[in-house]
This record gives sequence, structure tokens and C-alpha cells, in this order.
Amino acid sequence: MEPLAINRVYAAISAIVLAFVVLPLGAVVWVSFFANRILSFPATGYTFDWYVRAWQMDSFRNGFVTSVETALIAVAISLALGVPASLALVRGRFPGRDAIQTLLLSPMVVPGIVGGAALFMAFIELEVLLDVDISGTLPGLLVAHGLIALPWTVRLVTASLVGMSPAYEEAAQSLGAGRLTTFFRVTLPIIKPGIVAAALFSFVISFIDLEKSIFLVGPGRTTLQIALVSYLEWNLDSTVAAVATVQILIIGVLLLVSDRYARLSRAF
Amino acid sequence: MSSPAGSSTGAAALPLPAPAAREGRRLSPTFGLAVPATLFVVVALMAPLALMFRYSLNRFVPGQMMVDALTLENYARFFADSFYQEVLGTTLWISALSTALCLLAGFPVAYFLARQASEKWKGRLLLLVVLPLLMGNAVRTAAWMVILGDKGLFNAVVETVGLSPVKLMYTPTAVVIGLVSVLLPFMIVTLQSVIEGIDANLEAAAQSLGASHLTVLWRVVLPLALPGILAGTMLCFILSMNAYATPVLIGGPTFHMMAPTVYQQVAKAMNWPFGAALAFVLMAVTLVLTTTANILVQRRYRRWSE
Repeated sequence: MEPLAINRVYAAISAIVLAFVVLPLGAVVWVSFFANRILSFPATGYTFDWYVRAWQMDSFRNGFVTSVETALIAVAISLALGVPASLALVRGRFPGRDAIQTLLLSPMVVPGIVGGAALFMAFIELEVLLDVDISGTLPGLLVAHGLIALPWTVRLVTASLVGMSPAYEEAAQSLGAGRLTTFFRVTLPIIKPGIVAAALFSFVISFIDLEKSIFLVGPGRTTLQIALVSYLEWNLDSTVAAVATVQILIIGVLLLVSDRYARLSRAF
Repeated sequence: MSSPAGSSTGAAALPLPAPAAREGRRLSPTFGLAVPATLFVVVALMAPLALMFRYSLNRFVPGQMMVDALTLENYARFFADSFYQEVLGTTLWISALSTALCLLAGFPVAYFLARQASEKWKGRLLLLVVLPLLMGNAVRTAAWMVILGDKGLFNAVVETVGLSPVKLMYTPTAVVIGLVSVLLPFMIVTLQSVIEGIDANLEAAAQSLGASHLTVLWRVVLPLALPGILAGTMLCFILSMNAYATPVLIGGPTFHMMAPTVYQQVAKAMNWPFGAALAFVLMAVTLVLTTTANILVQRRYRRWSE
């Protein structure tokens, strides 16, 4: 075959495979506008009503608020813990550095359902021990979501630190800057894109988490993903499609923004 | 990050800069910066895992929940009960099939992306691959439900053409379709970064010596991309072994895979000892299979590269 023909074959296969990945999302966006009372094809007309209805449903509205709240605090936790740790990993010289890196990335490796189950049991034990509610509360969710976000922050921030020459920091220090000044005036501005990407990415990862959260939600405090799954177990209608569409839109925007700071495909 | 042997996918750590020879053994003050994060992971992940392992050795007494014991009966029950054998069996074959399909469908796309001359287009297409990945499993599964449902888009199209509708929802086929589309981006991104690191001149050289494109793929690209293929395959297999949303929503109430069963035992039946044992069986089986595959492929790769 001619090289051009070979290239066309690849382009055609790629188009089909990409369609397989992307088009279902298009379908869900499409049906969120259907006027049909019961979801069916073809559409009898188009409407925005489902979006209003979705917002009026407590489970989705509260779930959305809980998810945003949780994700924002999880980002703060993962940055507060992850940025210093990344600095230590990349600039520090101590034995066991690789082991600590592996440990910090391990929440990514332990299956969500296993980690979630373990955390759930530990929380219940603590509740019995200390006589406080943890499982089903915001602090409980935050521990889980901080854990979900941390490895991605560590990975993205270490990557940008590895790409930064320590010469800048050494220069600043040789001119008399202290460690803190060096960090805030030299290191931070240079790795800012990595940190912004880490924050946005951690937000998304926390927002879409399902497996860990499923153990830790309680009555009155459910994340959006759990609300979606429990609704989908019994219903499939344009209301849930409307919620899905809003989620696609929000995450899409966040990811497109974070892609400007660090190539997303590099995060994996 | 693009060297064939150093794919950064999954949990593979970034190579850290090597410590200077003299400083190697000295504890620098920066060490302290890693302490809070390390403690957090130890307390929030490692300690609960250890606790759960301990619980897997306890005894479950209905009505009393959990009784302290040191017994392997939960593990024994798993290997004695044909129901759970079947759950594990289903999980294994669904995962193996989904992973194989991901590899087959993902390789051409990854190759196309890696050899894409225009950087701008490559970036856009990669973004198109990665975006769906981060939309969340709940949303992506909902999307497949819209298509695969009895009155879904697929059957609507089938009926318009004049064929009889197909029962897809709540079948293993539908679960595999859902899983493949969820996992494909992982495979594509992993393979792409590895293929990108393979010198295109090697392919040109083989071609100029008369090799057909398929021969070039088989004899040049495939051997060099092997670490990436391994990484992508492991990643997809692990993720599919632990899949939750797809089997629950697309597989339906009578379709059982391991992760939903763990959830059911721990959170619904409140049988912690058995649920814990299930979780560790799932992790152990996954670990043994992936480690074995890793060793086999690494050995093969070393032979090739010598």
C-alpha cells in the first residue's frame, strides 16, 4: 500500500474509535433537550424544561453543592500537602525518597472500592471509639477526597519541578534570599502552571469520584455522582441527561483551561 | 517521559533526579516537607487497609456483626462457594475481553496520533481522547444506557432500518461495550506516548529495505512498543477488574462483578469480615496476574533488546 493510503486507513480507524468514545456523550446531551415525556426516539420536540426539573430535585441540587464544596476543599488539602511533598521529593536528598514517592502515589493504585471500604470501616470504628459522627459527614468525605486528589497533585507538581533547573533557586540563595523567599519569589512563579493544572485536575478527579464516595455518603449528604448512580439504577430520563450535560459542560471547561497550563495527556 | 521504557502511565513514578553521590546519605532539611503528606497517606489509606485486613480474619455472626477471631474461614468461604467463584470468573473474563478489545482498537489510534505530523492536530485529538475519560463513570455509563436501552438509540435506529430490536441492556455484551469505551482513552494515551518515543527513522529504514507496513509494525514497532503495550494493558485490566458503575448500571441486578459485590457485602449486608476478604481476594488476584504478566513480558523484552 502507498503511504498515503496507509495513513487514510489509520485516519478512518481512528475516526471510528474516537466516535465510539465521544459520541455517547453527544447522545446524552441530545436527549436532555427532548420534549418527550418518557424518553424515546425520535424526539417529538425540544425543550429546556428538564434542566429546570433537574435543579428542582433535591438530590441533584444538594449533590451538586456537596460535590463542589468537597472538591474545592479537597484541592486545598491536596495542594497544602502535595506541593511541599513534591519539593521534598524533587529537591531533597534523603534515603527512601523513591519509597515515599511510591507511597504518595499509592492512592491512585489501590482500587477505589477497596480504599473506600477500608476507610468506611475505620470511620465506623472511630465513631464508636470517640462517639462522633464521621462517616456521612463532610470531614469524612474530605479525608477520602484529599486522598483521591493528592497523588495527581504530587505527580503534576513533581513533573513541573523536574523540568525546572535548580540553578534559579541556587542563584537566589547565593544572593541572600532565604528558603521561604526563594520558594515564593522564584520557585512558585516558575512552577505556577503545574500548580494550576494540579488544582484544576484534582478538582475534576474529586468531583467525578464514585467508588470511594459511595461508602462515605450519608442521608442528606450525597455527592452528585452517587445521586446520579442511585437515580440511574431505577430511572433513565431526560432529567438525568440534563444533569449529565451540565456536568459535561463544567468539566469540559475546567479541563480545557487546565490543558493550557499543562498538557492533559501527560497527566496519565 | 517518552522513552519506550519509561512510560509514565498509571502509577509509574516519574524518575526523580539522582542524588549527588556525596549527599546521598545525608538527611537534608527538605525531608520535613514530605512528612505531612506521608502521614496523611499512612493514616487515611495504609492504616485502614491494615485494619480491613485484620477484619478479614474475624468471624461474622448474624445479629452481632463481627466477632474477634483469627480465622481464614472468610477466604475459605470464597473459594468454597460456587457463587463467588462465578463472580470472580465473570470479572476475570469480562476484564480480559475488554482489555484485549481496548488494545486492538487503541493501537491504530495511538499509532495515528503518534505519527501525526501536525502538532496542533495531535494536541486537539489527544484532548478529544482525554476529555471523555474525565467526565466521570456515572455520566459515561448514563450515556451508554441512552444508547443501549431497550427503547434506546441503537434499537431506534435498528427499527427504522426494519430489523427487529436487540436486547442489549443487562447483557454481558453491553457491559463489555461500556467498559471498552470507558477504558479506551487510557490505552490510547499510554500507547501514544510510547510509540512517539520510537524513532520513526527505524520504520523508514525497514520500509526502504522492502518491508511491508504490516511487517514494519510486527517486527519494528510492536517489539519496541512492548513496554507501553504492557503498561496500557495492565492499566485497563486493573481498572476493569475494579469497575463499579458499568457492571451495576449496564449489567443490571443479576450481573455480578467483584467491586459491586464488595460494596454489597461491606455496606449493605454489613458482613465486614467477608467483604474485607473479598476486597483482598480482588486485590491479590489482580496483583498476581499483573505481576506475572509483567515478569513474562519484561523477560521477553530483554531478550529482544539484547
